[in-house]
Amino acid sequence: MLLSKRKGNAVTDYLDLPQGTLDLLILKAVSLRPMHGWAISERLHDVTRATLQIPQGSLYPALHRLERRGWIRAEWGSSDNNRKAKFYELTPSGKKQLAADTKAWARLTNAVGLVLDMS
Amino acid sequence: MLNRLFSEIRFRVRALFRRDRLEQELDTELSFHLQKEAEKHMATGVSPEEARRRARAAFGAVQGTKDDARDARGISLIDSLAQDLKYALRGLRKRPAFTMGVVLTLGLGIGANAAMFGIVDRLLFRPPLGLKDPETAHRVFQHGRTQDRRPRVLRNFAFRRYLDLQRTTRSFESFAAFQTRTLALGEGSDTHEAKVTLASASYFQFFDVRPALGRFYGPAEDSVPAGSPVVVLGHDYWQARYGGRSDIIGQQLRIDRGTFTIIGVAPNGFVGAGDQGVPAAFVPITAYAHAARGPGYPALHTWTWMEMLARRKPEISEAAANQDLTSAFLASWRETIAANPNWGKLEDMGIRGELAPMLLARGPHAGRDAKVATWVLGVAAIVLLIACANVANLFLSRAFARRREFAMRLALGVTRARLARQLLTESLVLALIGGAVGLVIAQWGAAALRAAFLDAAASAVIVDPRTLLFTALAVMVTALLTGIVPALQTGRGNLNLTLKGGANEGPHRSRARPLLLVFQATLSVVLLIGAGLFVRSLSHVKNYRLGYDVAPVLYASANPRGYRPSEAEQRSLAEAMLETAKRIPGVQYATLTISVPFWSNEGTGLWVPGIDSVTRRGNFLFNTGSPDYFKTLGTRILKGRAFDERDRAGAAPVLVVGERMAEALWPGQDALSKCVRIGADTAPCSQVIGVAEEMRLRSLTGEREYSFFVPSAQHTAPPVPEIFVRVTGDPERLIEPLRRELQKLMPGPAYVNVVPLSELVDPSLKAWKFGTTMFVAFGGLALLLAAIGLYSMIAYDVTQRTRELGVRIALGSSVSRVLGLIVSSGLRLVGAGVVLGVLLALWGAKWMEGLLFQQTPRDPVIYGVVAGILLLVAVVAAVLPALRATRIDPNSALRLDG
Repeated sequence: MLLSKRKGNAVTDYLDLPQGTLDLLILKAVSLRPMHGWAISERLHDVTRATLQIPQGSLYPALHRLERRGWIRAEWGSSDNNRKAKFYELTPSGKKQLAADTKAWARLTNAVGLVLDMS
Repeated sequence: MLNRLFSEIRFRVRALFRRDRLEQELDTELSFHLQKEAEKHMATGVSPEEARRRARAAFGAVQGTKDDARDARGISLIDSLAQDLKYALRGLRKRPAFTMGVVLTLGLGIGANAAMFGIVDRLLFRPPLGLKDPETAHRVFQHGRTQDRRPRVLRNFAFRRYLDLQRTTRSFESFAAFQTRTLALGEGSDTHEAKVTLASASYFQFFDVRPALGRFYGPAEDSVPAGSPVVVLGHDYWQARYGGRSDIIGQQLRIDRGTFTIIGVAPNGFVGAGDQGVPAAFVPITAYAHAARGPGYPALHTWTWMEMLARRKPEISEAAANQDLTSAFLASWRETIAANPNWGKLEDMGIRGELAPMLLARGPHAGRDAKVATWVLGVAAIVLLIACANVANLFLSRAFARRREFAMRLALGVTRARLARQLLTESLVLALIGGAVGLVIAQWGAAALRAAFLDAAASAVIVDPRTLLFTALAVMVTALLTGIVPALQTGRGNLNLTLKGGANEGPHRSRARPLLLVFQATLSVVLLIGAGLFVRSLSHVKNYRLGYDVAPVLYASANPRGYRPSEAEQRSLAEAMLETAKRIPGVQYATLTISVPFWSNEGTGLWVPGIDSVTRRGNFLFNTGSPDYFKTLGTRILKGRAFDERDRAGAAPVLVVGERMAEALWPGQDALSKCVRIGADTAPCSQVIGVAEEMRLRSLTGEREYSFFVPSAQHTAPPVPEIFVRVTGDPERLIEPLRRELQKLMPGPAYVNVVPLSELVDPSLKAWKFGTTMFVAFGGLALLLAAIGLYSMIAYDVTQRTRELGVRIALGSSVSRVLGLIVSSGLRLVGAGVVLGVLLALWGAKWMEGLLFQQTPRDPVIYGVVAGILLLVAVVAAVLPALRATRIDPNSALRLDG
């Protein structure tokens, strides 16, 4: 369920993520190229034009969960000006998972759309 | 799928073994993120500090993220448990007084439970050592009715019943016959008495045991009728008498009247199915029976002397097997009735077989012991509950004092679940240490308890796996009970307020603590009432006039051991024993006897003119004695006279009846001179010459038990001469001189045994004594724990209210008012507990009734005293801290951190 949330007295345009969609977004993000956590966070922020409310902290537990499941793997590399950073990339089984999840998401939004278009 | 499993495993293994490394990586990863984020903000021109602050705000709680990430990796359980443990241990080391108090409290509670569990387990649950497949092994009982139509259950049978059941049943793999008797072993001056189990060869097949040496006997050595004179020694006896030597196989041992060849040694601790501890020896039951009663014993109907075991075929249900058993019993009894038509009609006897569990306490002959032990285990559980309440209370006050620390950690992003887990870990650690202490306490206590209560050989608590398992369970429950309330309360309420508030007055006061106190007081009241009832009950037992004196009386019996004197010889031997005993200094009186209270006595048929079927009115116990019988036992003659020299053999037969018997047979009439025919309705009239004070011979409470007495001279001599001797001074001192002098009179292999009468009577009072001791001990423990709990709670409360009390005094409230305020709040709680406890005790009273002797379980005196004690404890526990509170200087109280 997508709900707008009241914060303080002002209505913001932030949307909370539906349960389980963060994993899909991360898989998609790292499927383009290996990325470190902060980059993923920035990327999601930019691409969604800041409409999705993703606390940066919640990213890491999700990353580690996906790594445990074998859908992404991590490697230490160096980022700009040679700082050590952990880069995540999609594994073959992660690729399959992404495809399956994308399809499921499409079907879901399609179905929800049909219901909302009812007249 | 497999891939994923592999990845999962590799990940977890890595997580387990490279924890530090992973932890470091996580730190690096997160700080990299924060740095990048801060740089992003700095690029917009804000100061570095502001940039860092914004980065943290966008990130959320770092600590929480770390915990979540750890969880996500699946390493947290072991990892955080280790952390919690370290944290808990550090906390406990820092507060040694707190830790000691809690460990001791829990140790006492858990120890009491472990010790009692050992006893109850042995009585009620644990199958006898080595028993094969306990499900199909049964002890055989036979239900029936006495001649006066009262139901009764037997487990002693004639040997022919055993043969009949084997022949006519189809549902059983085997039967075994056994009996444990105290017999004379050895020869000459070495003669001593010991428990010997007479058992069929099939007996050993019921158990999964191997002889420690040699072999057990087989069916060929247990053949009907004579068997073979072979013996298997008990392990302890072998150790004690033969020093555990292995060259004893083939040696001869005199047992009772025969000479037996040693063929083996039973394994250590092997008791068999008996309830009299580890026997000294096992001999074929046929060999014993043949020696005792001659070759005709398998045909006897009247010699009912042995118990039976049955091994049911596994495919036959217990109900079907019971039916089979019943028809076999009926068929067997049909023959018995045909041979003894005057025993009554088979249809009237209501005969029915019952297959009961091997443990006596689980069958129809369950004694008082098991019932009392189960109650005491319940009491121990209550003591543990009180201890838990105390500890939970302590935890609560600590948690309350630490709430700022908790609030701080919550604010830092530690989850509430994690905090709760930490508190539970702490209580688990304490419960574990308490459990260890409890085992040590149980080990001490159990030795004493079992010696006083169980005849069976005691095994060590600490190495007994069932007790250990139970203790572990108790520890878990304890940890949960003590930890759950504080854990649930963690971080309730508003963080901000808690962080801002002082240490002394929080925004809320826990409601759980007073409830715990009421709960404790309630349980203590119940326990103390139980203890009070048992104490009064025991004092009734002790002061109960049995109708004779026990302490100054010795009992001596001559065992002819196969020597068969003529009746005339027996009489003269008995007379000689009597005369010899009377000459020993310190002996006051001596008398012949045929029965011993609570040990051996028998009923007999009576016929009284004008009264139909006397025997239906109850059980008439038959006793004989010489002229000093009543003086020796200290029994008063209420009416008429006792026997004297006139009541010789050949003179007019006479008898003395007990008070209740006179009342039962001739209510409202004078019993003197009445006619009673003893043993048969054709017997000559015996005249009642006296009425004696009632003697309790079989049970303290048996309503339908009556006793009467005839002169020994007018009765056939008993097979074994027995005498009672009344002594002045310490009876123990006279045992040996008496035995020595009497032994000189013994012909051939016969020997004399002398024991104090108390040794024979006291075991029947054991269950009462045990129940009392335990109830009083646990009741006292509960009171102590409740008092400590009460004191610590009120004292804590007072310190919490220091500021308020200071204000009250500053505003002119008098000291006595403040005192009253505190004392009354303590009294209110305890008062509620007292009311609840009294109600609970009244409600539970009906189950106590059977365990008490001449004591109503609703004795208002006891209830009143217990309520008084508890309220007194409450007042003392409240006044001490309250007095301290009134001495508070209002000035400093007001200035306290608030």
